[in-house]
Amino acid sequence: MPMAHPGGSTHTFGRGGIHPDPHKEATSARGIDDLPAPAEVILPLVQHLGEPSEPCVKKGEVVRRGQKIAEGGATGVPLHATISGRVRPVDKRPHPTQAMAMAFSIAAIPEAEPELEFPEDPTWRARTSDEMLVRIREAGIVGLGGAAFPTWRKLAFAHEAKVDMLVMNGAECEPYLTSDHRLMLADPRAIVEGSLLIARCAGAREVRIGVESDKPDAQAALQKAIAQTPVGDMKVTVVPCLARYPQGAEKQLVAAVTGRNVPARALPTSVGVLVQNVATALAVHDAVRYRRPLLDRVLTVTGPGVREPRNVRAPLGTPLSEIVDFCGGLTADATRMIAGGPMMGRALPRLDVPLIKGMNGLVVLTGKGPLEDGFGPCIRCGRCLDACPLGLEPDQVSVRVEAGRTLDTERYGALDCYECGCCSYVCPSSRPLVQFMQVAKGALRRSADVRAR
Amino acid sequence: MSEMSAGPAAPHAFVLSPGPHLHVEESTRRIMWWVNGALAPAAIWGVYVFGWNALAGIAASIAGALGAEWLGARMTGRRTTLADGSAFCTGLLLALTLPPRLPAYEAFLGGVFAIALGKMIFGGLGFNLFNPALLGRAFLMASFPLAMTSGWATPRNWFGASLDAVTSATPLAVIKEHGFAAGLAVITSPAGFWNALALGFRPGSIGETSVVLLALGAGALLARRILTLTIPLSVFAGVAIATWHTGVMPIHLMSGGLWLGAFFMATDYVTSPSTVNGQVAFGLLVGLLTGIIRVYGGYPEGICYAILIANAMAPAFDLWFRPRRTAPAGTPS
Repeated sequence: MPMAHPGGSTHTFGRGGIHPDPHKEATSARGIDDLPAPAEVILPLVQHLGEPSEPCVKKGEVVRRGQKIAEGGATGVPLHATISGRVRPVDKRPHPTQAMAMAFSIAAIPEAEPELEFPEDPTWRARTSDEMLVRIREAGIVGLGGAAFPTWRKLAFAHEAKVDMLVMNGAECEPYLTSDHRLMLADPRAIVEGSLLIARCAGAREVRIGVESDKPDAQAALQKAIAQTPVGDMKVTVVPCLARYPQGAEKQLVAAVTGRNVPARALPTSVGVLVQNVATALAVHDAVRYRRPLLDRVLTVTGPGVREPRNVRAPLGTPLSEIVDFCGGLTADATRMIAGGPMMGRALPRLDVPLIKGMNGLVVLTGKGPLEDGFGPCIRCGRCLDACPLGLEPDQVSVRVEAGRTLDTERYGALDCYECGCCSYVCPSSRPLVQFMQVAKGALRRSADVRAR
Repeated sequence: MSEMSAGPAAPHAFVLSPGPHLHVEESTRRIMWWVNGALAPAAIWGVYVFGWNALAGIAASIAGALGAEWLGARMTGRRTTLADGSAFCTGLLLALTLPPRLPAYEAFLGGVFAIALGKMIFGGLGFNLFNPALLGRAFLMASFPLAMTSGWATPRNWFGASLDAVTSATPLAVIKEHGFAAGLAVITSPAGFWNALALGFRPGSIGETSVVLLALGAGALLARRILTLTIPLSVFAGVAIATWHTGVMPIHLMSGGLWLGAFFMATDYVTSPSTVNGQVAFGLLVGLLTGIIRVYGGYPEGICYAILIANAMAPAFDLWFRPRRTAPAGTPS
């Protein structure tokens, strides 16, 4: 049974977790604004986990928005032009997560034709699992919640693992972010339809959509959409979850919504569950119904360092500086640019990088970062033990890494950590516990590799 | 257009700190100063009821602790950590366990010992095995046994009737020496049980006499979640179990020394276990040892040595009562 929160019918995961200030008020009541088409887009060949895409257009060629410009290869996904214009040579360009990476750029030209047309497939509901997989792959869809793992591969794994349940991730537990919230309000029908397609594609018989209780309007909108949708013999429900971080992490969401516990270091498929983000479901709906590729994404641009916080839909490849300008620009005291949410997102050094598929937010913070004043010794207060959702011991790992006993950390759970950041968040000595975990994990894996040789 | 989004002119204008990029509004320094603040009412009350001697003792103990911390940091080439409030806290805690009439230079030496050999020698904050304040107290007990056990003063009378600060004995010491009835007499006259044990108009160490003010400070720390009740309740349970058969269990439980120890010393983060189950075991051990020492041992108070012994066990408790983590696939859970 899902774990019920005492005093209500909301569900949540078992141990650990934190309740950071949600900071969502600046954008949670604002709809999604469309960014005007940019003059140039930069499309890195790597925006996903897997091999880089292979260019299939020549430099100088004029392309239309929606046209494929790179093939996906055996493990990746294809790439599409997100504006109509002239293709510039593939070159090294600044990348949000890698310093520099090979990327297309497309410059808008006045004589370019509009977006390709994507007519509806009249029998789209009748597509087989394999047909859907092809369309999802050809559309270049990756996990839009941030992980950017190719969706077709995840669905194929899930089908092979014979999952029985699809859990849709509408938790959006990261502070500041509201893009999924607004998507669930803007297009709940397409999200429900997309979820049904994903469930059928993966062979699941039930869909549960987990939405945190700070978004009752989204819960209601999805419930209404389910009632209006021909779901066939699929069981589809909305599961209200207590607002709590990291509920949107796969393991915690599965525990909250299904009551099943995913073992450490294992995927939800090991307990018969596939997890997908609601924004991904929307993209899958468009791909299967219209064969429309992934061209835009919605992200929340917010934080104290942004003058006019907004939920923005922008073409992939749009320079972030342009998106920031659309949101009124930065305040004078902006110091930190976080791609993604502030808990698990990463700081960007510069704004001349493009929007890529996995980027669900741009949070601009002011003031000093948690580590800028250094950190203190572990005072063994035990707060990290209470905060860890997996029952790991970040304190023990950190003191051993400091003492040079990095390989002595496996028993304290270093290999199980998925870096949600709860431990670092609560540490009164501001210790970089996540980074100590990363160091330990890396060293343990390397030593395992060495032993295996 | 803002100046920072101007692009290539300032490509590295942003700070690249690692995540998570948010942090809870709590720091070690803030925690330590809250603890100091929580102890302040009991300390001020101690000065009020016992007079200037008590203030001199508190000041000397804190000065010794701060001096040793400063010197230790200098000698080991580390940045000074006086501002984190931890050495101040050690000095204050030590002072609150001392007899009001202890000579100030002895309190100063206690503070120096507590920090120098209780903390700095182990590597500073976070690395010490034993509660530094209690090590300081144990050092004073060994070095100045007479002053440490006879420096008691009869407190100022609530109604202002003149009572000379004569050498007196604490209620627990009277019970130890002369039995239950005599102990009862000390606390029932003139002010009565609650007046004596709860408000603190009775002989005792500087900070132990008012259970009400200690509880007030502890309550503030509980409300701020700096403390949890796990260790203190376990300590009280342990004392109750060990003193059940004596017939004076309530007096044991109401002794200010126990409150000071259970809420402010046994709960020291560094020297107590971090896991909840470990804390229960640790607290019970402290309580049981306290009761055993009081009933069967040579000291009227037992909490000091009980905590020091349990401190030595804390790492073992952390090892024996580790959090149950989500098991990897294929392992029995």
